[in-house]
Amino acid sequence: MAGKKASMGEYIARRLIYSLVIAWGILTITFFLLRLGPGSPADKYLANIAASGRVRDIAQVQAAIEARYGLDKPLYLQYVDYISNLLHGNLGWSLSTSLPVTELLSKHWIYSFELILLSTVFAVLIGVGIGIYSAVKQGTKADYAVTFFSFLGISIPNFWLGIMLILIFSVKLGLFKTYYDTSLPLFSLENLKAMTLPVITLGSGMLAGYSRYVRSATLDNLRKDFVRTARAKGLPERTVILKHVFRNAMLPVITIIMLDLSGVVFGGAYLTEIIFGIPGLGRISFNAIFADDYAVVVAVTLIGAMVTLIFNLLTDIAYTFLDPRVRYV
Amino acid sequence: MHLKRREFLRLCARAGLYAGLGVGLSGCLEKTKEAPQNTTLPSGLHPVKGTYIDGTSTGDAETLNWALAADNASLNYIGLTMDGLITYDNSLNVQLRWLAEPVRVSEDGLTYTLVLRDDLYWGDGKPLTSDDFVYTFKNLLFSDWLPFNYKDDYQETVNGKKLYVDVVAVDRQTYQFRRQTVYPEFIYRVTDFWAYPKHIAQKYEGNLDAFTQADELNNLRYTGNLGPYRFVEWVRSDKFVVERNPDYYLGKENGAPFFEQYVVKIFGTPAARQAALEAGDITSTTIDPLQVSKFKGMKGINVYTNPTSGYDVLLWNFRKNGWEGFRKKEVRQAFAESIGKDALIQSIYLGFADPAFSFIPRPSPWFVETGLKRFGVGALYNKEEAKKKLEAAGYKQKEGLLLDNSGNPLKLSIITNSGNKVRESIAFLVKQELSDIGVEVELKSLPWPTMLNQYLKNKAPGDKASGFNNGPDAVSEKSWDMCVIGFNTDVNAPSGTSSFFASDGGLNMSGYSNPDVDELFRKARSKEALDTSVRKGIFAGLSALISEELPADFLAFPQSNIGISAKVKGIEPGISMGYNSQLWYFEE
Repeated sequence: MAGKKASMGEYIARRLIYSLVIAWGILTITFFLLRLGPGSPADKYLANIAASGRVRDIAQVQAAIEARYGLDKPLYLQYVDYISNLLHGNLGWSLSTSLPVTELLSKHWIYSFELILLSTVFAVLIGVGIGIYSAVKQGTKADYAVTFFSFLGISIPNFWLGIMLILIFSVKLGLFKTYYDTSLPLFSLENLKAMTLPVITLGSGMLAGYSRYVRSATLDNLRKDFVRTARAKGLPERTVILKHVFRNAMLPVITIIMLDLSGVVFGGAYLTEIIFGIPGLGRISFNAIFADDYAVVVAVTLIGAMVTLIFNLLTDIAYTFLDPRVRYV
Repeated sequence: MHLKRREFLRLCARAGLYAGLGVGLSGCLEKTKEAPQNTTLPSGLHPVKGTYIDGTSTGDAETLNWALAADNASLNYIGLTMDGLITYDNSLNVQLRWLAEPVRVSEDGLTYTLVLRDDLYWGDGKPLTSDDFVYTFKNLLFSDWLPFNYKDDYQETVNGKKLYVDVVAVDRQTYQFRRQTVYPEFIYRVTDFWAYPKHIAQKYEGNLDAFTQADELNNLRYTGNLGPYRFVEWVRSDKFVVERNPDYYLGKENGAPFFEQYVVKIFGTPAARQAALEAGDITSTTIDPLQVSKFKGMKGINVYTNPTSGYDVLLWNFRKNGWEGFRKKEVRQAFAESIGKDALIQSIYLGFADPAFSFIPRPSPWFVETGLKRFGVGALYNKEEAKKKLEAAGYKQKEGLLLDNSGNPLKLSIITNSGNKVRESIAFLVKQELSDIGVEVELKSLPWPTMLNQYLKNKAPGDKASGFNNGPDAVSEKSWDMCVIGFNTDVNAPSGTSSFFASDGGLNMSGYSNPDVDELFRKARSKEALDTSVRKGIFAGLSALISEELPADFLAFPQSNIGISAKVKGIEPGISMGYNSQLWYFEE
C-alpha cells in the first residue's frame, strides 16, 4: 500500500511537470498566433471611430491604440514582459473589461462552474440511469424510446432549445425569468430556480450522450464472464447490475464526464451562457477573442490547458479506485 | 458600424451650438434656433419608483475611464453618471447641461468661450471648475503619454506644423479654446467629453498604466452631483447598475430623476433581448424590423421608430486592383440606376429606412434636398437607361451579358462583413439587380478583420505598413470591386465625411479622388463657412455633386426601432430620443 502511494506520488509529480511544459508551449503558441493573426485590437476601435464620421488622422488613432496595448514594442519584448509578469503571478490587464485578468477570471469562473456542475449532475443522474435501464431492456419499446430521445437530445442545438425553453416557460407561462440574475446568491434556492432552464439546455445533450455511452458500456459488460459468474452465484439481478456491471461500465464514461467538467474554462457552455445571459468564462473568453484582448485570451487558454491536463490526471487517478487492476508506476 | 441614438449623441454630438440659418451676430456667429434652454428641467413632479432595465445595448462597455474609451457602450455608461456640457433635443437644438449659457464664439472664429454652472461638484465635495477642464485637455488629452483617440479634433496645422489648440481658464467658471486657424465646425468639438477632477487625475499623470488601472478613475465614484445617477456596480458581460442621484444638480426643483435604479442589461442575442421585453423582464430593447409589427400589437409595449445618422453604402474600388470601369462616372451612374432603393428598403429593411442619395441625413440641419440626383428611385431607376449608359461608355452587351474591355463577360466581386445579415442581403440584392444589366457578381462574406486588413487597407510599393489610404498608387493585398459597408455622418458637422471621400481622407479606402469634391470639403472648413448660410450652401453643393458623381452608391439611412414598456412616460421620440431621460418616469 505504501509502495503504491509512493509510485502514485511520483506519477502525479511527473504528470504535473509534463503539464507545465505543455501549458508553456500552448501559452507561447497562443501568444504569437494572436499577434500574427489578421486582426488587431485597433480594428474594432477603428470601426467605432470611423462610425463617428469625424476622425481624419487614422494613423494617429491606430498608433494610440497600439501604444495602449503595448503593441508598439518588438514582439520578443512583449513576450519577455508577459512571461516575466506571469512568473510574478500577474496575468496582465484586460483592456476590454478594465480589470486585472486575475480578478476578471476569479469573478466569472464560478458562473460557468455552477452551470456546468449542475448540468453534469443533472445529466449524470438521469443519463446513467436511463442508459442502464435501456441496456437491461434491450430491444424493447422502452429501449427504442430511449434511443429515439437520446438521438433527439444529441441532435437538438443548444441554441434552439434554449430559445424554445425561454419562449415556452418564461414568455408564455411566466414560470422563470428570461435571463439569469447575477444578484441572486449562488446555489440559493432562487438561484437554482434561475438555473433550471440553462441546466436543461446544456444538460440535455450531455444527458443523451451519457445515456448512449452507458448503454453501450453496460451491454458490453452484460455479456462478460464475470457477470455470468455473478448470476450463477445466485446474486440478485439488481446486485449484479449495480455492483458488477455499473462499476465497470462507468470507466469510459468517467473520462467523458471529466472532459465536460473541464469545459468550464474552454467555453463549453458558451452558447448557453449567451442565450441566458450568464456572465461565465465562456462568454468572457469569447468576448475577449472578438475584442482582441490578448491578455484574457492567453490567460484563458493557459488555465484551460492546465485544467484539462489536471482533469485528465484526476480521471486517471479515479480509474485506480474504480478498477483495482489499474496501476501507475 | 452604425451608431444608435444615444451612442451617436455621445460620440459625435456633444457639440456647441446648433447652427441655424441666420448669419451670426456680433460675439456669436452660430446661434441656436429659438428653443428653450433648459437649465432646470422644468417638469411636473413624479413619484420616484422602480428600476428601469435597459436592454438596448448590443455589447458591454470596455472602460469607465472615459479618456480611454472608444466604444459607444462605455460612453453611454459614463453618460448616466455625468451629463456633460450640453445635449440636443430632437430638433438638434442645444439643451444646456453643465454650461450656464451657450458657447460664445468670437467674430474671427478663433476664440470659443464656455461658462460653467456654479453649482457643480465632484464626489468629494470639491467644485467642478474651469481649471478641471483646462487640466483635462492640456495635461491629459493633449499629452504624449495618453492615447486619446480624438486628439485630431483639437489639432490645427500652423505653418506646416500640427499643434494643439490652446485652452485657458479665464475665471473659476469660464474657460476658452483659442485657435490660430479657423475651423467652423470646431464649435461642435468644444463641448465634447467630460472633465476629470484635477486633484485626482494628477496622481496618475504621465503614467499610462497607472492611469488605465486607477481604481478611482475606473469606478466613477468621483461624479458627485454631475449626473442623474450614481455608480453601483458593473458585472462584466452582464449588467451595469446605477442608482438615483439625490443630489443631481438638475433635480433640485423637480426631484429628477424618477427611477430608483437604472440597469443596463447585456444580452447575447436579439432573440433573448426581445423575449425579455415580451415577458416584462426588462423595460426597453431594440426591435428587429421583422418583429416590429408583432410588438406593436402587444399590450403594454410602445414601439418608437427613430431616424439615425448611419447609412449603408456600396463602395466601388477605384484603385488599380478594382474594375477600371468604376473610374467612369457614367458607369457608376448606370450601376446606381439599376439598383432599386425602394425595393431594397422594402425587402431588406422592411420599410424602416430612408433612401440615401448623399451622405447627409434628412434630420441634419445641413440637409438640402434641392439638387440631389436620386439614382435608384423613380425615373432614375431604369435598367434600360443603365444599359444605354454602359453602351455609351464603351461596354457592349452580348447575349444578355456585359462584356469587359477584352470582350469577355464581365465578372465582378462584392465583399461585405460576414455576420451582418442586412449587408449580406444587400450584397445579394445588388447581385440580382446587376445581373439584369448583364453583370455577373460573385459574393464574398468575410470576417471583419479579414475584410479590413486584406481588402480595404492598402499600400503603395515601398510603403512599410498598409493603411486605409496610402495614396493613389496604393492597392489592397486582395482585389475587390464593390463593398457593402456602413458609414456614419455627424449630423452637426458633416465635413467629417471627407475621411471617406476626399482624396487625402484617412478612411478613403476605395481611392476615390475628385478635386471638386476635395475643394468643397475644404471650403466647408474654411473661414467663409463661418457664415452658416454660406456653409449650408457649400453642403448643398457638395451633396448635389456627390449624388451625381457617386463616389459610392449611397443606399439607405436605416431607422431604429425601440420597444419600451408603456408604463414609461415622458418619452419624446426622435433622433435624440433619450436626451431628456432624466424626466422619464413610471406611471402610477
